[in-house]
Amino acid sequence: MTNDAKNLSDENATVNPATLAAPLEMGALPRPAVEPWKVPNPTRTTKVALASTIPGLLAIALTLLFSIDPAVAMILLFLPLQIIASIWAGRNIYGKKGQSDALLVIFTVFFSTFVGVLLVSLIWSVVVQGLKAMSWQFISQNNIYITPTTSLEYGGVGHAVLGTLMMVGLSTLVTVPLGIMVAVYLTETREKPRGAVRTLVQAMSGLPSVVAGLFVYSALIVGLGLGYAGWLGSLALIPLMLPTVARVAEESLRLVPQELRNGALALGAPAYRAFLQVTLPAARSGLITAMILGVARVIGETAPLILTVNNTNSTTVDISQPMAALPTYIFQFIANSYDTSVQRAWGAALVVLILVTVLFTLARLVSRTNVTAKKPSKKRK
Amino acid sequence: MTRTIGIMSEAPTSAPPSRRKLSTKPHSVADRVFYGLARSAAYGAIVIVGLILVFLLMRSSSTFAEQGVGFVFGSEWSTAGKKPVLQIGPMLWGSMLVAIIGVIFAVPMSIATAYFIEFMAPKRIAKIATVIVDLLAAIPSIVVGLWGVMVFTPVAGHWAELLNGGLGWIPIFGSSTHNFQGTPFTAGWIVAVMIVPIITSVAREIFSQMDRDLINACLALGGSKSSSLFQVILPTASGGIVGGVLLGLGRALGETVAIFFVLNLSFDINWGAILENKGGSVASLILSKFGEATPAEIGGLMAAGLVLFVITLLVNWVAAIIVNLAQPWRR
Repeated sequence: MTNDAKNLSDENATVNPATLAAPLEMGALPRPAVEPWKVPNPTRTTKVALASTIPGLLAIALTLLFSIDPAVAMILLFLPLQIIASIWAGRNIYGKKGQSDALLVIFTVFFSTFVGVLLVSLIWSVVVQGLKAMSWQFISQNNIYITPTTSLEYGGVGHAVLGTLMMVGLSTLVTVPLGIMVAVYLTETREKPRGAVRTLVQAMSGLPSVVAGLFVYSALIVGLGLGYAGWLGSLALIPLMLPTVARVAEESLRLVPQELRNGALALGAPAYRAFLQVTLPAARSGLITAMILGVARVIGETAPLILTVNNTNSTTVDISQPMAALPTYIFQFIANSYDTSVQRAWGAALVVLILVTVLFTLARLVSRTNVTAKKPSKKRK
Repeated sequence: MTRTIGIMSEAPTSAPPSRRKLSTKPHSVADRVFYGLARSAAYGAIVIVGLILVFLLMRSSSTFAEQGVGFVFGSEWSTAGKKPVLQIGPMLWGSMLVAIIGVIFAVPMSIATAYFIEFMAPKRIAKIATVIVDLLAAIPSIVVGLWGVMVFTPVAGHWAELLNGGLGWIPIFGSSTHNFQGTPFTAGWIVAVMIVPIITSVAREIFSQMDRDLINACLALGGSKSSSLFQVILPTASGGIVGGVLLGLGRALGETVAIFFVLNLSFDINWGAILENKGGSVASLILSKFGEATPAEIGGLMAAGLVLFVITLLVNWVAAIIVNLAQPWRR
């Protein structure tokens, strides 16, 4: 732009020096004192306000007046009214173009709100119902002598929390190094089968959890005649956790600038030291995030544990024995439909939700304070 | 190196020196160990998938041999007779039906949410919404199942009743029992709640990496917001969105505990009457029969798991390929 203007002015200079000033002034056009797009437009604001309130109010009034079912009123009354009102407003303000935009806004907001309502309802009910069961003794005690109708003042999920932490911890010990090495293979080497490995690892992320449980059951419990045990549960969690760890680790390794690696290699470092002393520290927090997200992925897995671990009621730290876990605890208590046992299930669900949320917050905090944190979307090219 | 230059300068007409071989192969032992570890980890991932296939095949081969093709297409499960009849046709179809219903519900909701987050919401709200969507993708299915059976089932039952009342004359909304608990409709909603975060985060990622100049160009040419969505954004992002939907479909097909609680399993095949309170799901079948299964039934359940695994692996494989093709910036 500036180049063009300069050329133009040079050309003009040779032809007619008098016009020299004109193109230059174009660049320095004074900014208008009042920016036209910021000028308040009362008619427009009123129209938008009317279009976004009247249908709702009208629908509510009609619903109450004729006592229509809320779900029916939502779809058959409110939505059509809102569409008509928005089309009217859009058409009035922006002309024909505004019509389709109004529809777009309506449907986008409608669907996103619907998603929001569903998800908020999910979290809300877990929190509210779970808090009723929550107490220190609920978190710390175990399930011995507890029947489905025992009052909530006795017993808790302590043994299940311990079991979950031990089983998930054991799988983490195995899966995180494995997943990081898979990520190293995908980012640091230039071998041919990388594409296939990446696709396979992604495809693994859809492995049905019940199949992972069946695999361990068929291979070790039926095959080798082992009994139900905590470590078999850990084993069943590995294929479920691996894809998450590998994918997030791959992304964080990829974010380490290539220049860092090249610098280390150019200084004469062998590849493994370049990785251990340069790439790994630079990607450290991303790798921690990978671990945390992997843990969050499997902490609530139920089916594999049902098939391989067998629930217990007592506290145990022996992973060669059956163990309790939070998901199987929930499963056990939903199955009984007594009020107290359902309350216990809600309480345990809240504990799981808290664990997942804490892990997520940790992951976000870790990945924020760091060079490899995901940058806001850069423009391609 | 210096010698080469010397020769070149002294006798420029002599034959050019042979090219130095460039090699990127690791030459020190430690490097070879390092790359060897990485390679074995990568092959380890392949081996895990292979092992799962091999062991399930080993345990289920006798079932396949006894039941034949009927295992997949037949619709009877009885262990009463001398020779057990194990067929999972209704469960397999039921899994697909529930997954399809879930995807149909989830796709418009996810795309709308992704569009809302990426193009409409103020930055702050968009950021919070992104975090929430990512968090929801990690909510365990047992928690969704608990919510589904305690909170959502009555609501969905009410919706189903309304649908049946208004549109009952259409076969898919028909109901012979007027019992709206445990229908594929409810299970479809539960699955939709679980896969909305997955599809949303893939779609949002693709939207956020789109070339904004394309959209601005469309607007500058006089296009409206909606024409830029339908004629620029969606066609450009379609590959990635299809991949995301397939990822969701794969998850929906393998969903186990959440469906276990909200769906009434029935070996009377339900071809598409989504408000009928009978449906099927292979994963839930495995979970429900596992506890008191006879050895012959265990073989059948293994075979069912194998069929489920192969189907989800195929769906996810295709999805992964499509997502990778649609996200060239990840290479």
